[in-house]
Amino acid sequence: MTIQANQITKRFGAFTALDRVDLEVGDGQLVALLGPSGSGKTTLLRIIAGLEQADEGSVWLDGVDTTRQNPRERRVGFVFQHYALFRHMTVFENVAFGLRVKPRRVRPGRDEIRDRVHELLRLVQLDWLADRLPNQLSGGQRQRVALARALAVEPRVLLLDEPFGALDAKVRKELRRWLRRLHDEIHVTSVFVTHDVEEALEVADEVVVMNEGRIEQKGHPDQVYEHPVNSFVYHFLGSVNLFHTRVRDGQVRVGEQVLAVEGEDEAVVHARPHDIEISRTAEPGWLEGTVLRIHGIGPVVRVEVRREDESLVEVELPRERYADLRFTVGEAVHLSPRQAKVFAEAGRQSN
Amino acid sequence: MPGLPPRLRAARPAEARRAVTEPWPVRAGLIALALLFIALLLVLPLVLVFQTAFAQGWRTYLAAIREPDAWAAIRLTLLATIISVPLNTIFGVAAAWAIAKFRFRGRQLLLTLIDLPFAVSPVIAGLIFVILFGRRGFLGPWLAEHGIRIIFNTPGIVLATLFVTFPFVARELIPLMEAQGSDEEQSALTLGASGWQTFWRVTLPNIKWALLYGIILCNARAMGEFGAVSVVSGHIRGRTNTMPLHIEVLYNDYQFAAAFAVASLLALLAVVTLVLKSLVEWRAAPASAPSEAAAG
Amino acid sequence: MSRRVLPGFGLSLGVTLTYTSLLVLIPLGGLFLFSGRQSWSDFVAKAILDPRVLASYRLSFGTSAMAAAINGVFGFIVAWVLVRYRFPGRRLVDAVVDLPFALPTAVSGIALVTLYDRHGWMGRHLASLGIQVANTPLGITLALVLIGLPFVVRTVQPAIKDLEAELEEAAASLGANRLQAFRRVIFPAILPALLSGFTLAFARAVGEFGSVIFIAGNLPMRTEIAPLLIVIRLEQYDYTGAAAIGVVMLVASFLTLFVINLLQAWSRRRGKET
Repeated sequence: MTIQANQITKRFGAFTALDRVDLEVGDGQLVALLGPSGSGKTTLLRIIAGLEQADEGSVWLDGVDTTRQNPRERRVGFVFQHYALFRHMTVFENVAFGLRVKPRRVRPGRDEIRDRVHELLRLVQLDWLADRLPNQLSGGQRQRVALARALAVEPRVLLLDEPFGALDAKVRKELRRWLRRLHDEIHVTSVFVTHDVEEALEVADEVVVMNEGRIEQKGHPDQVYEHPVNSFVYHFLGSVNLFHTRVRDGQVRVGEQVLAVEGEDEAVVHARPHDIEISRTAEPGWLEGTVLRIHGIGPVVRVEVRREDESLVEVELPRERYADLRFTVGEAVHLSPRQAKVFAEAGRQSN
Repeated sequence: MPGLPPRLRAARPAEARRAVTEPWPVRAGLIALALLFIALLLVLPLVLVFQTAFAQGWRTYLAAIREPDAWAAIRLTLLATIISVPLNTIFGVAAAWAIAKFRFRGRQLLLTLIDLPFAVSPVIAGLIFVILFGRRGFLGPWLAEHGIRIIFNTPGIVLATLFVTFPFVARELIPLMEAQGSDEEQSALTLGASGWQTFWRVTLPNIKWALLYGIILCNARAMGEFGAVSVVSGHIRGRTNTMPLHIEVLYNDYQFAAAFAVASLLALLAVVTLVLKSLVEWRAAPASAPSEAAAG
Repeated sequence: MSRRVLPGFGLSLGVTLTYTSLLVLIPLGGLFLFSGRQSWSDFVAKAILDPRVLASYRLSFGTSAMAAAINGVFGFIVAWVLVRYRFPGRRLVDAVVDLPFALPTAVSGIALVTLYDRHGWMGRHLASLGIQVANTPLGITLALVLIGLPFVVRTVQPAIKDLEAELEEAAASLGANRLQAFRRVIFPAILPALLSGFTLAFARAVGEFGSVIFIAGNLPMRTEIAPLLIVIRLEQYDYTGAAAIGVVMLVASFLTLFVINLLQAWSRRRGKET
């Protein structure tokens, strides 16, 4: 089953939530819509489900135009951020709901419903909770019930809105790995919305980065992470050090990095904290600064360096490496990025 | 929410023990003051009603209730109630669905309009129908020509009752349905349920206690309304007197025992209402507590 | 606006608008239209300048304000006691507070007058002290206190409940005694709710009819409330006179409604800040 959204535009009053967005999801893929809040990712998901109507554009499911269809006709499974379990029904009844409301001709028999529900509950490993009410479950359990409920009607595609957003960090991690395994098992075309970079990169086959109602970049997680196409994506995917540098002869130079840029007076060089080399000894061309602060968190140590022009640079080192170097606050150090990027997009973000 | 303060769900101790509280003589004094106030203001009149009703024995009591005019009043009260409560219930559910589940222009205005009957004096509720349908009102001459009588007749009493009980159900449902949001309805739709299936299987079970609560209050007001009905009734004994109006007639005739006998029926209704109301609050408390972490 | 996802918008809004228009909007509009039939000076003469009407307004608004103020004090105490203290019978008292919502006004009316007239259980003792309740503004106020009490209690109760214990603990840790904590921390936090409750009780009292007319005695110029005067005008088939007073009272209720909305918005804002 494929999903195709063409030129989707959605406005809420004066606010443009989606601006001519195109999205294509291949059969059996698991795609993450990633972006900050207000980027339009949830709106796009709800438009695909038919829970929201686009002002312009069309939605095609499996090559059929469903733009005018209501959610009931689209046969999509939707998992809500806050689960939206029917609070007065047991877990079993929640999962059975979609089967019970089918028109009489196609409604499965009592026994068949029971078997299907238990099968699904086993799939999400909650068979033992069938008779509980939603408010007797933990967040993670509720989310799995919501997933089983959505799967019960054999949806053509599965849409998940911030599926792990309301859970605490540890449960989140477990549950997203579990979702990946589940997807490998049942292979239903799925789209999930998240603002958590790690989650998107870890779980999805393809990541779609959104910002201000537009898609900034899409691609395989590695591809997106290694080759961000613009400053926004670079910033969104991790911490950044910025170096404002003069352009000379179509090139900028930061430390040992020399990058080609198209003719401007000044360019902004982006480098990740873990991609910056730090040393006590001066090397030709390296940047100078003094150590301002050192924090050791878990396996990495962060060193904050103040440059002469008062700008700050953050450097991340593995703990073992730091143990060899042992900087002290106030000490003079030298810096050079191992990897850096320049984007040709003057002021695109501020429009 | 003018007219009716926000409902209090099952009053539960805030904290069993507080580190910071008043010294015990102050506490005891305040409790005593509150109890005395409630006893004098609310309990004493209620006791008096039952005491006076039975002061001259069962025989007089039963005679007062069995008297034909009293019977007619009881029948009329029940008729007005049986018409008003279902109509206002259907309206309340429809209004709550439209207002709580959708955003549209004029929504706030509509909310205020629904509240209006609470803010308006019951006498004015009667007055507006007299002005519309009374002999010298807008439609009076036309109605007279066609031999239709609304004022000083049953239809007028039903209209006045409808007006004063108009907001009860809607007012209970709207805040609850707004708080519940429409996620559950939306998920029912994505699971293939039709609109009516969604309403009957998802929405209604979620609002049943608030609905019942609204109906109980609506019913109590419908049976007990005095001012509005008094204006449109014309006080024709045995024909257009409801129970509260019949009480007034008896009282003004110095038939105190009979007046209090009929009053005791309504007082009993009030007590039953309070008991039901407390039961519903008690039942609704766990069910209506948000079943999930509040949306951020 | 684009198509809506949940079904039933047209049906439910249609039912709501039709029903509201037929039952509320058109009849209330009719009242204004009807009083517009007379000249402005006639209207003013009937609705305001007539001394009997004027006296009834003074009585209605005066006793209502008095009753709401009494309820402000006692309602607050009752709400405080119900939320903060544990004592046997608390749940029962909590339920009884709603009695005025459930008890038909005619019943409380005849009960009050029977209690407080010269031979009544209460009236007898008060009479020996030289206090007359029945047939005086005092009696009217008493009836209005009765019907207004739950409005104050039920508005203030949630506000007291929502008060965080930390606030008072912080005040205590900063050296405030209990009275100072009450005056400077608790009372300001409850004030919006208390004012809301006061206004609700006042609005209800101004329009009240059934529980008042029995104990009021209804002496023109002295104990005749405004709603009763409307009834009297109607009985005299003076529809314009009745409508004129009705319009004034209706405008007064609109104003109170408006004030209540302001107070509740204020109270919500207050709630968000903490």
